[in-house]
This record gives sequence, C-alpha cells and structure tokens, in this order.
Amino acid sequence: MLVYLEGIIILMCINSIAAMGVSLLTGFTGIFTLGHAAYMAIGAYTTGILTMKHDVHWLLAVMIGGILAVAVAYLIGVPTLKLMGDYFAIASIGLGETVRLIIENWESLTRGARGLPGIDSFTTLPVALGFLLTLTIVTSNILKSSYGRAFKACRDDYLVASLLGFDTAKYRILSLCISAFYCGIAGGLFAGFMTFLQPTMFDLQKSTELTAVVVFGGLGSLSGTILGTAIITLVTELFRPISQYRMLIYGAVLVLVMVFKPEGLMGEKELWSLFKRRDETWRKRS
Amino acid sequence: MESFIQQLINGLSLGSVYALIAVGYSLVYSILLFSNFAHGGFLVTGGYICYYALISTGNNIWISGLLALCGAGLTAIITERLAYKPIRERTSVTLYLLIASMGMSIVIENFWVIMAGGRFRAIPPVLPTYPFKMGNLTISSFDLLVFGITILLLFGLEFFLQKTKWGLAIRAAAYDLRVAALMGVNVNKLISIVFFLAGLLAAVSGIFLSVRYTLYPQLGFITIKAFVAAVVGGLGSLRGAVLGSLILGTAEMLTAGFISSQLRDIVVFGLLVLTLLLRPTGLLGKAVSEKV
Amino acid sequence: MLFASLSGAQTVVKVGYLAALTGDWAAYGQTEVKAAQLAVEEINAAGILPGGLKIELVPYDFRSRQEDAVNAVRRMIEQDKVVAIVGSNSSGVNIAVAPLVNRAGIPQIGTVSTNPRVTVDENGKVRPYSFRICFTDPYQGKVLAYYAAKKLNLKKAAILYDVSSDYSQGLREFFIQNYKKYGGEIVADLAFRGGVDVDFRAQLTEIAKAKPNVIILPNMGKEMALIIKQAKELGIKDVVFMGGDGYADFMWDIAGDALEGSYWVNHVSPEDPALQPFFEKYKKKYNDECKEFVNGILGYDAMYLLADAIRRAGSANPKAIRDALENTKNLKLLHAVITIDPNTHDPLNKDAVILLCKGRKAIFHDRVRPEEQ
Repeated sequence: MLVYLEGIIILMCINSIAAMGVSLLTGFTGIFTLGHAAYMAIGAYTTGILTMKHDVHWLLAVMIGGILAVAVAYLIGVPTLKLMGDYFAIASIGLGETVRLIIENWESLTRGARGLPGIDSFTTLPVALGFLLTLTIVTSNILKSSYGRAFKACRDDYLVASLLGFDTAKYRILSLCISAFYCGIAGGLFAGFMTFLQPTMFDLQKSTELTAVVVFGGLGSLSGTILGTAIITLVTELFRPISQYRMLIYGAVLVLVMVFKPEGLMGEKELWSLFKRRDETWRKRS
Repeated sequence: MESFIQQLINGLSLGSVYALIAVGYSLVYSILLFSNFAHGGFLVTGGYICYYALISTGNNIWISGLLALCGAGLTAIITERLAYKPIRERTSVTLYLLIASMGMSIVIENFWVIMAGGRFRAIPPVLPTYPFKMGNLTISSFDLLVFGITILLLFGLEFFLQKTKWGLAIRAAAYDLRVAALMGVNVNKLISIVFFLAGLLAAVSGIFLSVRYTLYPQLGFITIKAFVAAVVGGLGSLRGAVLGSLILGTAEMLTAGFISSQLRDIVVFGLLVLTLLLRPTGLLGKAVSEKV
Repeated sequence: MLFASLSGAQTVVKVGYLAALTGDWAAYGQTEVKAAQLAVEEINAAGILPGGLKIELVPYDFRSRQEDAVNAVRRMIEQDKVVAIVGSNSSGVNIAVAPLVNRAGIPQIGTVSTNPRVTVDENGKVRPYSFRICFTDPYQGKVLAYYAAKKLNLKKAAILYDVSSDYSQGLREFFIQNYKKYGGEIVADLAFRGGVDVDFRAQLTEIAKAKPNVIILPNMGKEMALIIKQAKELGIKDVVFMGGDGYADFMWDIAGDALEGSYWVNHVSPEDPALQPFFEKYKKKYNDECKEFVNGILGYDAMYLLADAIRRAGSANPKAIRDALENTKNLKLLHAVITIDPNTHDPLNKDAVILLCKGRKAIFHDRVRPEEQ
C-alpha cells in the first residue's frame, strides 16, 4: 500500500514539474500551447537512451534531456512564436505530434512504437520531491524578478508592453525555453519512474492534460498549478475502478471551472500569500 | 501514372470529408474567434443518432439522416448555451472558451462510451459502396455520393450566407461581432444558428465516416486533421477551409502511396508548420490581431 | 491465513485481472473479464481451491494504454495484495509489466499475448513469473506461412501490418521467415499505424499493383475489417485474405460480405462441440453473444489453469503457485490439454485451427498439428 501511494506521489511531483513549465508559458506569459508533451518525450527518451546505452549517470542524463528540450524549443520558437492566438495553439499541436512521430519512426535509436523497456528505476520519492522543491523555488524567484514582470506584461497587454519598450519577442521565446526545460526534466524523471517508454505516452491527450491542469489550478498562480495537478492526479487514480465515468467527470470539471470560476482554483493568488495576509491582520490587531 | 491518378481520387474523397468538418469549424471560428474542440463530439453524436435511428426505423436513411443532422445541430446549440455563453458574456478571453470546449469534447466522447460501449459499430449498408471500373481506375460509388453531397451542402451554405438576411448578419458578425450587435442583430440567436449549421455539417461527415470506416466513440479524433486543414486554408475563411482540406487529403494519400504510410502524418503537420511560417494567416485567411 | 484456518472462516484469495475496458481494445477486454468472472463463480462453487479458499476477481482497466497498465498492476500488487494476475491479452502490455511482476514475485498468465518476449526476456532467459496459455507468434506465423504456401498453394503474398504493435510486427517477421522456406514470395510489404489510421486505400492501391494472390493481415480486428472492406471498394478481386488470432466476430459488422472466403489461424474454433456449454452459460449470464470468442475461452480457461495450480500448491502463496504453474502437466481444460514447458513457460504442442469465413460466420476448416509442418 505504501509503495503504491509513493508511486502516486512521485507521479504527482513529475506532473507538477511539467505543469509548472506550462504555467509559466500559458499562465504568466499568455501563450497557449497544446504540444508540450513533446518536450517531455524529448527529456524522457534522452534520459532513457543515455542511461541504458551509454551508461551516463542518471542525474546528468536528466539534465541533458532538459537542455535538449530547450534546444528544440528554441529552434521551434523563433519562427513560430510570431504566430498569434489559436494559430500558435494549432501549430503547437502539429509540432508536438511531429516530435512524437519522429520518435516513433526512428527505430534504430528509440525502438519505435514497440517502446523502450528496462530503464533504471532511479526516480525515488526523495529524488522527485527534491526536484519539485528546487524547481518551485527557482520558479518563484523568476516570477519575482524583472523577468517575471516582463512575462506578465506580455500576457496582460501585448501592445502596451511593446510600446513600453519591452522586447516582447525575446521574453516570449525565453518563456518557451524555460517551460521546455521543465517539461524535459519532468520527462527524464518520468522515464526513471516508469522504467518503460512508448511514444504514445506523449500524445495530444497528455499535452491537453498539462494545459488543462494549469487552467484548472489558476492562470498565474504557481501554487494553484501544483494544487491542481495534485487533485487531478489523485482523482485519476482514485476513480480507476470506474474508469468510464472517470473521464466524464474530468471533462465536466473542466467545463464547470471555466463557467463558474474561470480564474481557476487559486486565481492569481498564491497559497503563501493567503497566510501572509492573515499574518498581517493578526499583527494589526495586536 | 495510373496509380497516381488513383491516389489522387482517394485523396480528394478523403479531403471532401475533411472539408465538411473544417467548414463548420471555421464558421464558428469566424464569429467567436476560438477553436471549438468539441466539434468532434458533434460528429460522433451525429453518427450514433443515425446508427440507432436506422436500427429502430428499419433502415430508413431519410428519417435517420434528418434526425442525426437535427440532433447534432441541437447538441451544438446546447453545448454553446451551457458551456460557452456564460463565458463569452463575462469575458473576452478566448482561452477560457478553448479549455471549456476541450472539456465538452471529453464529456461528449465519454458520454457515448458509457451509452453505447466501446464496441465498433457499423452503419447498416444503406448507402451504395460498390466500385465503378473506368479502364484501370476504380471509383467507389460511395465516393461519388460523398463528392456530390459535399458540393451540394457547401453551395447551399454559400447561398444561405450570400442571399438571406441571417446570412448577411453572419457575414457582418464575422467582420465584427460587437458592431453587428450594435446594429441590432440578435447575437445569441445568430450564434445559435452558426452552431446549428456547424453541428449539421459535422453530422453529415459523421455519417459518412461511420459508413466508410466504423463508428466508435473516438471517431471524433479525425477532426484534428480537419482543424489543421482549416488553419492551412486560413482560419475563418470558408473557401480556405475547403482548399486546405483538399490539399491535405491529397497530400496524405500521395505520401502513403508513394513514400511511406508512416510518414503520412509527419507530412500533414509539416505542411501545417510550413504554411504558417510562409503565410502566418494561412492561404486565404484574414489578418488576426492578438486578443488574449 | 493463519487466523483464518484457526477460526475456520472462509478466506478470500484476490486475483487481479488486467484488461482494457475502455479505448480501442475495450471489446476484447470486457469479454475476458466477463468470462473470467463466470469461471470464478464455478471454481468457488465447486470448491477447487484448498482449505475452502475462494477467489475474488479484481479487474482493472488499462485504457488500452501501456503506461496505464503499469499503474494498474502496481495497484493490484501493492494495494489489493493479489496472489496472481491473469491477463492481459496484449503482448505489448505484458512485456511492459513483466519486470514489475517478476520483481514483486507475483505470477501472471497472459491470455492471448503471443509474442515470445512475454515469457522470455531479451537475453533468451525465461521470466520466472510470466506465463501464457496461448501458442506463440513464431508458431502462429509458421502455421500461417505453411497453410498459405503449402495447403492453399498461394505463393505471392502482400503484407499490410501495424507498425505500432508488437504483436503485428512479430507475426509478420515469423511469417516472412517461414514463407520463403516454403517457396513463397513477398510481393509487397506495407505498414500503417494502428489506432490512428482508418484509411488504408493508399496502401491497398499499391498492393493491388503488385498483383498478389494472398494478402496477409497480422493485425487486430478493427483494422483488418476496415482493410478488407476498403479492398472491396477499390475493386480488389481474386485475392485471398489471411490473418492470425486477431480475428473477432464483430468484423462482420464492419466488413460484411467482403469477409467471405478469408482464412484465419486461431487457437480455438467457435464451432468446437466441447466449447458449446461455455457459450450457452455466457449467453445465459450476460444476455450477450461472446463475439470475441478467443478472448472469452482463453480468459475462462486461464482462470481454471490458475485454480489448478493453487490446488496443487496447497496454498495461496505466490511462489508456490508459480512453482505449480511451471509443473502443469496434461491438464485438461475446455479448449485444449495444457502442459507448460518449464524452459519457455509456453504451453507445449498446441494445435492450431484454421477458420474459414463462410455464410456470415467463421467455420472450422482444418486443424494443423505442430509435427506435420
């Protein structure tokens, strides 16, 4: 029982890391993506192949996976980030699927659709939690910095941001690269958790889930993203015995959140800011 | 050469089914400026209504077809009223509409999983599918039927948009929804009409796809290709949607026939990215400005 | 266990059942679980297990996706504490979960998972806790090649296989190897992506150009039915379709009369008199035809194979069950007499049947013995 629970928590950490990346892009910079599972795939396969065939230490392999994802994101981002709104969203579907199809067809390297079995099981609970904690601290510092303000400016009013002299193109690409790095790392950890990879694990459904979780938790709230991921991961596992209804409930929840609380669970607030405020009122009283 | 022409015919027949999906999707986009991902759900709903109606009416394709078209049209209206109307009346952020439409797509697909089960259903053979031989070429009678009905429907839609009062209102709304509202157009009624049309076209393609392939809850997944076609042609442009669909269908078949069937989808998505890089608004699209 | 035997109360042994209940393979999975449930009721009523033990079935869905299967198996082993797992019907899934069950030491019996690597790893070593009740793809591919080339005298074959499936790729490989030995020639060898592709006209147009006299389909039912249907629409005539154990009766709903005259290698024939009681019981209990008959029969018999092993092991200890499974000899089940080969964990010397589609059903056409090829 404990081991199974541990598995769920590890999965939650992995999903949270990937969702954090998407949150930075969609929630804070306002760029809507439907292809980020591709960056997870790049990270996962890089890690899997490096640790198995080239005996690279897993930590290094995970990092290389993240960096490779950034490289691909940069190559893709420079031309496509000029596209606006839904054009970028549809293009990101195309790019995500293309990456997956390349992995599927490059059999000599990835064993194709048959999958890559026998990866070392290096993603233990401390590893997953450690990564999540480190990356959360990094993200919240990015958001507090001038970069974070620039991202939000791109989101809130693109025109005004450019008129104010923000190099919006640069910030959009930077945001995409950071989010790809997070997804790449998450993919690498996923490889070490699953010990088996298949291209279909990183399909459109996975990409959609990542974006949906971010919206569900609250666009522009880091803790909301983590909370949202936790809830969705738990619900998915808890409802396993009634899997048909599981997906129906999941879809309905998405619609209801958009209709009644489009700002998501947390809106733009953070969990710690809630505590802070309570703290201040308490001080005033005393 | 002969097999090239044969693959071209296969491609055009696939493309015409894409066109029916892409046009409805593009029509909704032109008014509300968001990608309605629940479009695939309308298609599946049309297929299932047709299937059950055929069984209960003893294979009367006219009644079943009519029921399927109206049923999917109504599903589209209800989807809009329940999930999109509250959002679009509150905010202009299309992102929320996009996510809501994803949710609806999951809901509709899994509604049919629960109602009809996962088995593959086949629509009874009410439409002719026997092949015609022309020299060494083969054309299925069903392909001709699909061609014919698609052309008829698209011209009908064009006539409706050009010659009727509501058609004029829709074209005005596609230019600017707010201005159209100020000119006294009943926006909610207009949007319902647009969704009904989109649902109706989706149902026709749903019936075609169920006859040609098979009917199952995940059939709506094919709409992704149609979305790609609409983007290649230019979002919001109906002629673009048709053009993009025919290009895509042909490209798919030629790739599968002459290069490799594994590369088929890579070519589709490659075509998409390439088009967008050369012409960010698609082949016939109008310029968009970021609304988010 | 100890307390139970002291108090004399009945104890329950949990057995996991891995099946796809949603997604593309839902039809196969749902039938397997229903058939297994039927077997469990009979086994419990007959008191086959030692010490008054009763089996409780724990079926989990893996949504036709392998990563979901990994989570489902983890849950069975760690939370439900199952003593054995039956299923799944997919080679790919069973290969993916094999490291898990072998590390945890929980025996697993695959139903229709025919790929050799389900029970034997990449290095040719037998996986101690992985078993199967069906014959393997090398054997099935050989039978297919033998029957096409030698018995039906069809020496020009085209293949259309599923590049995203372990099962399909394996069967194709073993067919080609043997077909050439029997003097056949492969005139076209094309692929598609299962689950995504529904239109095969492009490949079929190319196949028609090569003028084969037999088209080999090593795939799952939905795709095979669509391929046969579209071949007819393209006017492809004078060619025999042949395939493996992916055949299912629902293919008639999709392909209709186009299926007539096709041959299928299979584990069992639905017309076998010995199987009729099962079909009657199934229909009575669920008010549904057992359309995926192979999955139904093998799911049902796999439960009996497991129950027999638990009986001989004398307890519900997973390791003892494993040892007993490995030593199964001449166990008479509904569809065959089973002897497990300890070196491969495959059943020894199973016959294959050849089904012929005629008059809107698959009728028994021939039986192929391992020794005659």
